[in-house]
Amino acid sequence: MSGNLLQIGQSGAMAARAALELTGQNIANAGNADYARRSLALADLTPTGTVAYTQGFTAGSGVRIDRVVRSDATILFAQARQSGSDLTRATAELAGLQEAERSVEQAGVYPALVEFEAALGALRSDPLSPSLRSAVIERGQVLADSVRVGDSGLAGAAERATAEAQAGVASLNRDAGELVRVNEALLRAREGTSGHAALLDQRDALLGRMAQTAGIAVEYGQRGVVNVRLGDASGPFLVSGTTAPVPLSLQPQPDGTAAFTLGGAAVTISSGALAGHGQALTELRDARSALDAVAVQLVTTVNGAQASGATPAGVAGPPMFAGSSARDLALVLRDPAGLATAPAGAGAQSRSTANLDALRATLANGGPTAAADALLSRLSQAVAGRTVTREVLATVADSARAALSRETAVDLDAEAADLLRFQQAFQASGRVIQAAAEIFDTILGIR
Amino acid sequence: MMISTLNSTLGFHRAATAQQAGLRSEAEALQRQVSTGERLERPSDDPVAAARLRALDRTERLAQVEETNALRAREELGAASDRMADMASTLTRARELAVQAANGATSPQGRAAIATEIASLRETLFSLANSTGSNGEPLFAGQGTGPAYTRAADGSVTYTGSGAPGELEVGPGIAVQRGIAGPSFLSFDHGGTTSDVFALLGTLEQGLRGATGDPAGAARDSLPGFDAAIAALGQGQTVVGTRLAWVETVETIASQMGEARAEEATAVGGADLAASLSRLQQVMTALEASQASYARLASLSLFDRI
Repeated sequence: MSGNLLQIGQSGAMAARAALELTGQNIANAGNADYARRSLALADLTPTGTVAYTQGFTAGSGVRIDRVVRSDATILFAQARQSGSDLTRATAELAGLQEAERSVEQAGVYPALVEFEAALGALRSDPLSPSLRSAVIERGQVLADSVRVGDSGLAGAAERATAEAQAGVASLNRDAGELVRVNEALLRAREGTSGHAALLDQRDALLGRMAQTAGIAVEYGQRGVVNVRLGDASGPFLVSGTTAPVPLSLQPQPDGTAAFTLGGAAVTISSGALAGHGQALTELRDARSALDAVAVQLVTTVNGAQASGATPAGVAGPPMFAGSSARDLALVLRDPAGLATAPAGAGAQSRSTANLDALRATLANGGPTAAADALLSRLSQAVAGRTVTREVLATVADSARAALSRETAVDLDAEAADLLRFQQAFQASGRVIQAAAEIFDTILGIR
Repeated sequence: MMISTLNSTLGFHRAATAQQAGLRSEAEALQRQVSTGERLERPSDDPVAAARLRALDRTERLAQVEETNALRAREELGAASDRMADMASTLTRARELAVQAANGATSPQGRAAIATEIASLRETLFSLANSTGSNGEPLFAGQGTGPAYTRAADGSVTYTGSGAPGELEVGPGIAVQRGIAGPSFLSFDHGGTTSDVFALLGTLEQGLRGATGDPAGAARDSLPGFDAAIAALGQGQTVVGTRLAWVETVETIASQMGEARAEEATAVGGADLAASLSRLQQVMTALEASQASYARLASLSLFDRI
């Protein structure tokens, strides 16, 4: 009998020791964001078919380690993934818009237009003055430069957004390939082992990262194997069990936006960083075409006025600006004497400013200045609005992540309590072994 | 059912860091407001206010040009007014001489001397009528760029300017004629025909030198012409003086509007120093408190008790 007691004590000590080790593992991974808390499920060990000389009584043979339990919260995890996708989408879109706002604002398109108008106003005081005429030409040069700088800033922002989207596509494809390998390993691993739990950690880390890149829906199969669909539960498969993943790819469009295809078929991505980059690219395209409109309006207005007026030499003015978009806007009139301030037919050396006045009026009323102002207003309104959206989504994502981590993450205080508990269990099992030894000694000591 | 009372250690640290970073960036934004005096760092901080500020900046910039223009108009009108005053005294002196010549007691030698002085006064008037402004442009030539009056080989003087002087914008929607064209104050109606001061003085000089045989009569005949010429010049002086006064009024209005604009710009985009500072103090207090409580909580570990 004492042999049985010895075995019970030994199994208890072993179970407590294993639990202590697992607690140590939890504590070691307290700073690991991908780690889900483990605990040990125990089962009692009852021998069947012992000889019933104690009339059916048996205390059992101790305890055995049943399985390693990994804390899991599928619904909370899905919520955290979804809100994470929304947040990365909003963040990427906001970053693109902010860059668009900065590009147009810092290029100084609006101030340059105002300075050009001011130079024209100053020329009115003395239309034949070479210095005031030169000032207009110089302001025109600055204006053309700043419009081009604004456009190249927007183009650079679009390039960066495209590059980031490309990197996102590559990382999503890599993660999908990795997930297929994890799925294969999950099928091979035995459930309830530490190895299986570690694979599940890896799987969830991959799913979390994929959700940040593009919105996904996850289906759970046996042994923790997952299928991943792009978008919602009716979307196309990205990963299906252990079959090779369908590659996602990005096609840059001629207008600067991006289109996505999954295995050759066009797909729409509605959340995640890729969706955000796509939206940012659309916004940047719109901003660029608005800036193009400003440039075209400037060229048409100023050149039209030049053609309908008379220079000091008494002839029609040559074009001042050239270009059909913001990218190729350039000042072509270098000679201050080429500015047509007087109305047509005014004769040589006229000090009349009728044509100049007409140009100033056209520029002031709904001209390129107003268009540039509208572009800046639209961008800043969009940035302000999206900032609020992003803050709201960040709060949602934070609380979803907090809810998930309450279920699955490590609490050091709880682990400290467990440490004490299992330590005591270990000591108690030691006492059981000691008692068994004493009983044995007592029996041996009978003479 | 057991309610989960676990507090994720990682989550606690992450949340505390995020909160403190938020407070810190708010404090930094307030500090920036206080040090720059501007409430807006980017237009997106307040799109409506930013649009208003852009419009105000534009108006301000264009108003600066108008201010320069007004200064210019004031200079040119002032110069014109000075020259016209000189012309008036010249004309008055010529009339005195004409009265003197009309007197029968004046000797022929005296009339000859008067004729010489009249000729030189005519010369003075000619150069005054062709005087230029501070930038070298003729003052009384309208929109022309050449001299206002030219003299032919026979000594006759004709107006060679063109059109009315241009208008100059001196305020929002306010324009003023920048000068006055010569014929509008140097020409006058004399006995039903239009004449000008150069013809008047030229005829008088010729008459005194005996072109008509009655020098005293020629001098007498010229007197109504002088009266008409002085009246026309006086009218011109009044016009220029009124314009000058108007420009000064507009300058006062413009400076008041500029002040109003600056006030609005401060109200729309300026940082309220008192509010910003007290908010900064509030945020700093919250930040310090959250740092202190974080340090206290983070040091609270059950492991210390084992």
